[in-house]
Amino acid sequence: MSAIRLTDLTLGYDRHPAVHHLSGEIATGSLTAIVGPNGAGKSTLLKGIAGALAPLSGGVALAKGKRLAYLPQSADLDRSFPIHVYDLVAMGLWNRAGIFGRIGAGAAHKIEHAIAAVGLTGFERRPIGTLSGGQMQRALFARLLLQDADVILLDEPFTAIDARTTADLLELVRRWQGESRTVVAVLHDIETVRQAFPQTLLLAREAVAWGETAAVLTPENLLKARRMVEAFDSHAAPCQRDAA
Amino acid sequence: MLNRRALVAGLAFGLATGASPFGTFAQEKLPVVASFSVLGDFVRQIGGDRVSVTTLVGPDGDAHVYSPTPADAKAMAAARLVVVNGLHFEGWLPRLVKSSGTKATVAEATKGITPLEADDDHDEKGKGGHAHAHGHDDPHAWQSIANAKIYVANIRDALSAADPVGKASYEANAKAYLAELDKLEGEVKAAIARIPAERRKAITTHDAFGYFVKAYGIAFIAPQGVSTEAEASAKDVARIIRQVKAQKVPAVFLENVTNPRLAEQIARESGAKVGGRLYSDALSAESGPAGTYIRMMKHNISEIEKALTAGPA
Amino acid sequence: MLYDLLIGPFAEFDFMRRALVGVAALSVSGAPIGVFLMLRRMSLTGDAMAHAILPGAALGYLVAGFSLPAMTVGGLAAGFAVALAAGAVARATVLKEDASLAAFYLISLALGVTIVSLRGSAIDLLHVLFGNVLALDDQVLILLAGVATVSLLSLAALYRPLVLECVDPGFLRSVSRSGGVVHLTFLALVVLNLVAGFHALGTLLAVGMMMLPAAAARFWTADITRLLLLAAGFGMVSGYAGLVLSYAAGSSLPAGPSIILAAGAIYIGSLLLGSQDGLARRLLPRVHLQR
Repeated sequence: MSAIRLTDLTLGYDRHPAVHHLSGEIATGSLTAIVGPNGAGKSTLLKGIAGALAPLSGGVALAKGKRLAYLPQSADLDRSFPIHVYDLVAMGLWNRAGIFGRIGAGAAHKIEHAIAAVGLTGFERRPIGTLSGGQMQRALFARLLLQDADVILLDEPFTAIDARTTADLLELVRRWQGESRTVVAVLHDIETVRQAFPQTLLLAREAVAWGETAAVLTPENLLKARRMVEAFDSHAAPCQRDAA
Repeated sequence: MLNRRALVAGLAFGLATGASPFGTFAQEKLPVVASFSVLGDFVRQIGGDRVSVTTLVGPDGDAHVYSPTPADAKAMAAARLVVVNGLHFEGWLPRLVKSSGTKATVAEATKGITPLEADDDHDEKGKGGHAHAHGHDDPHAWQSIANAKIYVANIRDALSAADPVGKASYEANAKAYLAELDKLEGEVKAAIARIPAERRKAITTHDAFGYFVKAYGIAFIAPQGVSTEAEASAKDVARIIRQVKAQKVPAVFLENVTNPRLAEQIARESGAKVGGRLYSDALSAESGPAGTYIRMMKHNISEIEKALTAGPA
Repeated sequence: MLYDLLIGPFAEFDFMRRALVGVAALSVSGAPIGVFLMLRRMSLTGDAMAHAILPGAALGYLVAGFSLPAMTVGGLAAGFAVALAAGAVARATVLKEDASLAAFYLISLALGVTIVSLRGSAIDLLHVLFGNVLALDDQVLILLAGVATVSLLSLAALYRPLVLECVDPGFLRSVSRSGGVVHLTFLALVVLNLVAGFHALGTLLAVGMMMLPAAAARFWTADITRLLLLAAGFGMVSGYAGLVLSYAAGSSLPAGPSIILAAGAIYIGSLLLGSQDGLARRLLPRVHLQR
């Protein structure tokens, strides 16, 4: 049962493809890492799956009725806005209560629980502007927890975070897999991927390799990926493959 | 022989009066620019067919805040005579004269008039500065018919100076018009006399009736200063309401260029009656009740008499 | 003595009571909207809107002459058009809120001036359109009360998505489609409050009562709910103080500006003494805590 199916997907900007003719499936309950050189299209792919970017061609299909949660690379968050950690985390419940609906009595308990799960107990009344990078990431993870989504997309969740926080959050991710949630994460640290993620997609605009992590992250594959040219070609001709 | 001399004489006479033996070329009218509608009316009355008048601030316009257009500059440049009120009424005019490059003579209609100071023609004034665009003199001199006669005289002289050929025509027109103004003055004084003495007071939003007050003995109390920009303070409004109640001022008048709401509130709270619209700074449109100076004064006095004689105080 | 100063004027004069009620209504609905405008960095919207409504008012004047209802309805329509167009462009294109609003309000203002000039009359339309706090009749008070009610109900209903839209619009987009609707509804509320405010009280008061209390409140709290309440409170206090000042001062202080000066004094006071990043706190820091 696939949670996400990609059909000949091309995503890009200004007609230049950042993800080029990508096809494949991500199984329900799997833990997949997306790795690749800079400009490989990894964030773009997540945006496309999350529905934030419309495909240039091809399509993305999400399994019916599955709730999606997306943690972007640098949140579009206004840190100077006067709310507290508690309110920020509570936002995770809002889409389930409906934007205008009432949050039940058990909500306070759930929120506290989520805050505790990420190790931010005691931070409830802190304005979000006073949090460090790691603390903010943990708060966003707590919000993600409350969203109770079936499919979770994480874009470079551990960049610029200390080792202890990374380890804590990875624990959470493993727990999600245990709950049969599907997780797709873009990561830079190959070691983390080898340790924690059973599936990997090595992306260099096109799929270089996709499958079991050990089989994908071979030196030959990594070399192939590195050879991808990063810049868009301003003299590129229209792509012929669609004509077929 | 006689024929030829007659022909030459006829030609000379024709040229002198602007007619041509070769057919008619239209008699060229004297182009005059008047700064606002009251002056425009005067110029037309005195100039008659000999002049072509362009008025800058038209009917219902507000000369205090007027912004000249390119069309105005064009008219200005083509004019041979510009008639203005003076007494700093048209703050925007000197710049327009300069920028249009006109060679016209600028004639001040208020020459020779003793101006009233803007501050001291009301008994109960204690205010400090107004946000006043004019300086110290009240420019609305035309509100007194005696002054209007001086306006007419000045305009007649200015027209005669610009167009000596028409001098006789101007003097005749002016004489006739002055007679009409005399009659008007009589009517106004009679109307005032018909109002009981203790009711000869009213509130109006615009403090432009200073000369009228002085000439004809009606007291006008204003919640704002002379220009349309000044804003009222709670203290002023309270004072006026108290005054209206205490002195049993019978009516409140709205003026045709400023915001009427304040006057309505004062009327409501003090029990005074809201009178009709008074025209002070501009004539109405031709089709309106105050299309000429004489009709304006008649309309104003009629409204004043109606409001002050009717109803309980 | 104190009674004469603080209560007397309102007991004696109807227009003072009405002014107080009018300003209170404006504070209650305007201040929360001002808080959101401030947090979304749209503080100059009010001023832009005052100019943007001109073509609507001009068309109203062309159709119905000096009819205040016609001009106000026209102004409302023009304001909505400008606000919604600017909002839509900001959401859908690369242009941000401030640039798209600037573009549309300038076009609108020029259109308005052209329409007025075509008529050939030199009337200062906007001057007539804008009301005066000392001249609030029953009709206008009902308008203000109505607008306040609609605004408060809408803000209560939209509270969550509005906050989300300000804090983390990306997240809102990922969990709900209501982002666009909420944004535009908020802009509509802004226009409604501004135009009603202009009609009743004039530009200075309408915009000033929206923005100054919000800015002042920011120096006292970092909690959004308290911000909203405090801003409304500051608004009402400014209204009261300004009216008392305009009534009692030795030389003639016009009412509208007095109220804004009172609000301004509260703002300066908050800037200097506020507990959240006020200047005094910065210059005279307290001893730090153990943990």
